[in-house]
Amino acid sequence: MATSHPRVAQGVPWRSIGKILIVIFCVLFLTLPLIEMVKAMIADPQLLVRQLLIGLTNGAYIALIALGYTLVYGIVELINFAHGDLYMLGAFFSLTLVGVFSLTPETPWLIRGPLLVVVLLATMAFTATLNMLVDRWAYRRLRGIGSRMAALISAIGISFVFQNLGLLWGYLRFPFMNGVMGSNAVAPKSFPALFPNVNLLAGTGVRFGAKDLIVVGVSVVLLAALYVFVTRTRLGKAMRATAQDRDAAALMGIDVNRTISLAFILGGALAGASGMLVGLYNGTAVFDMGFTAGLRSFTAAVLGGIGNIVGAMLGGLLIGIISALSDQYISTKWTNAVVFGILVIILVYRPTGLLGDDTAQKA
Amino acid sequence: MQTRIRKSMIGAAFGFAIALISGGFAGILAGLVAGLINGYVVPEAEPLADKRRAIVQGLTVALVGSVLTILGIVLRNVVIDPIIGVPLNLIGVAIAAVGAVLLCVLVSVVMCVVRTEPPARERIGMAIVVGIILVTYPWLDQFLNLRFMNEVIPVLVFLLMALGLNIVVGYAGLLDLGYAAFFAIGAYAAAMVSSPHFGLSLSFWLAIWVAAAVAAIFGLILGSPTLPLRGDYLAIVTLGFGEIVPIAIKNLDNVSLSLWNYPLFVDVDLTGGTKGINPINRPWLPIIGEFSPSNPIPWYFLILGIMLISIFFISRLRNSRLGRAWTALREDELAAGAMGINTVNVKLLAFAIGATFSGLAGAFYGAYISAIFPESFRFDVSVMLLCMVILGGLGNMSGVILGGIIIQFADRLFLPQMSTVVQKLIVASGNESLRDINFASDFRLLLFGLTLVLMMVLRPQGLVPSNGSARVLPVAAGEARHD
Repeated sequence: MATSHPRVAQGVPWRSIGKILIVIFCVLFLTLPLIEMVKAMIADPQLLVRQLLIGLTNGAYIALIALGYTLVYGIVELINFAHGDLYMLGAFFSLTLVGVFSLTPETPWLIRGPLLVVVLLATMAFTATLNMLVDRWAYRRLRGIGSRMAALISAIGISFVFQNLGLLWGYLRFPFMNGVMGSNAVAPKSFPALFPNVNLLAGTGVRFGAKDLIVVGVSVVLLAALYVFVTRTRLGKAMRATAQDRDAAALMGIDVNRTISLAFILGGALAGASGMLVGLYNGTAVFDMGFTAGLRSFTAAVLGGIGNIVGAMLGGLLIGIISALSDQYISTKWTNAVVFGILVIILVYRPTGLLGDDTAQKA
Repeated sequence: MQTRIRKSMIGAAFGFAIALISGGFAGILAGLVAGLINGYVVPEAEPLADKRRAIVQGLTVALVGSVLTILGIVLRNVVIDPIIGVPLNLIGVAIAAVGAVLLCVLVSVVMCVVRTEPPARERIGMAIVVGIILVTYPWLDQFLNLRFMNEVIPVLVFLLMALGLNIVVGYAGLLDLGYAAFFAIGAYAAAMVSSPHFGLSLSFWLAIWVAAAVAAIFGLILGSPTLPLRGDYLAIVTLGFGEIVPIAIKNLDNVSLSLWNYPLFVDVDLTGGTKGINPINRPWLPIIGEFSPSNPIPWYFLILGIMLISIFFISRLRNSRLGRAWTALREDELAAGAMGINTVNVKLLAFAIGATFSGLAGAFYGAYISAIFPESFRFDVSVMLLCMVILGGLGNMSGVILGGIIIQFADRLFLPQMSTVVQKLIVASGNESLRDINFASDFRLLLFGLTLVLMMVLRPQGLVPSNGSARVLPVAAGEARHD
């Protein structure tokens, strides 16, 4: 870690003065609100449990997106800025398919269930292919030239291109799409309520619907599959080797470019699955939803320790819970600021995250 | 000869695009732009020492420029206009074409001749040519009935910010993705002290300094936690700050702060929330009186003056001890530290000075539109500024100005104008399904995104590369290791 060399005293120690001021500020102004918040949580445990369950569902999809960041960063040290927007495109693609298959809440489950699985798989295939192609066209030739900035800027550009694609997608009004895109291209698109909306914990005063169970269940299955893939298969081993040392992996006969493509494919597939799940869960999708989701998920990946797969899952869960609690006990208006604040604090004070090792910032 | 014609296609393309998209008398302006760009670009590629040959050179490039410009004028005024229902005015077309050719020839020849002078006189000569064009532009605009002034002023505001961002990203090599936050901070600082919001109605001339100072202080505050970071982590942290600032501004409309149980202040409206602050005082000068929103000329000269002073300061900074320290920091932070550069102070100064210019721009912008809203400073503004800096060439002021002009004019003038023309063509052709696509706002993000990606992949050094080897972005993409 080149950056952590001890700073020789240089004139006025601004950094320590700043730290002391921050601590004083926090003690003076934030202690009481925090105590109030804890009091509010204890006073109404039912509400707390409800928010925790919302956090669990949110955490599940955040973890799916966060894995895409972590897989790519672990191998090529690129913050794939466009990943959040890939998730948005996943939602749009699945909505299109829902329209093509003309799925409605009235469709019998015998048809609806298998078709939803088809939509999920097709969406995953779509986003995986897109992610791989983008890597090939926009990032590959910027690798290994000493600067990671170029690839990051390219990724920001791709993120804007994706957002614009999402915007233009709203204009697609082919007859076979059965009008799922609505009449206003820029407005949020609404999904039909295809997931059953029954409360599984009825009578307890807490809400955990069947659709929450579907989101959490599908996410857990996908996360487990990914974990097994990375830790138990030959290709997964190749990925881990490439992440550790690209040159040595190449010398051992691993096709580095294919392994990197694989990371983009896996990450893209998970983002697509997440886009479809969130679209059907919330019932809406809008072309600029990728930015916030992407930053939350990136925060999750960093919180867990970027490059660490289990860390991304843990981080996703934590960020989901933190934002659900912040929605309830601070204010929805401030939730994004809270998440960004966490991101800044982790990057500045503990860039390795909760589970990461010291190689996180190789700069 | 070959390079001369190839290079003069750059200006000619601009002339063609402007003439095609704007219509009316804008063709004259197109000729002027074509001549100016060719007069700058061609002698750069093919220097001549001899006056007579320089005149020939000027005439050649003017020929290429005016042929394409006239093509644009004819295509627009004779072919497209009748389709979209504008009556054909042959005399007007002739006037536009003749004016375009005259201005194009005049400017190219003068520029080519000036470029043969020795460097010191060449600089003065170029400054005079550009100065005359800039000073006479408002009247040209009025005379030709172009109504571009209301777009030119914001363009200059964003150019000023791009120059400030160039200090942080180009000179010091710190990728700042939240730069628009300082624009917001400057604008709000000025708005708070020079509006009835708090009852402090300071004059604009004081408020602009308050804005610059507050922005600089916030540059220090937001820059200090990022000191140990570099590269992509720095970029993400600045992005985080850039998002927190607008959220905070939007929600700080009923602030209550209590020290334990002792309330310091209750329900103070700091920023006006989503409503923003409105109205903001306009500047006042003895002869002109209060700057009025209907007359853009005083605003134009005010922002032009701020720009020129800023350009002067930035170019002096670039060659100062501090500027060289920034370059060293950008090339290799460890080595710079070992050479005795106080990397902490130098980084903080880059953030603070960069933020200052953004604060100035914010104060001006707030006074110009006389209102300020939290939604105008989001991430896309930061990325647009980054786009301007990268398109022109990191670390090179004339490159940044060129890139900024291209992006800004594309965003504010070309896309909207093209959109109306295409819209009308679509309506004329009777195609209903494409009618509600807005070709300006629906393709903005694509413009920024594609610019960033294509520049990174094809020409990372920018259109006008800086002289020093900028290692922030690799010079040649072809040096890839084993991919």
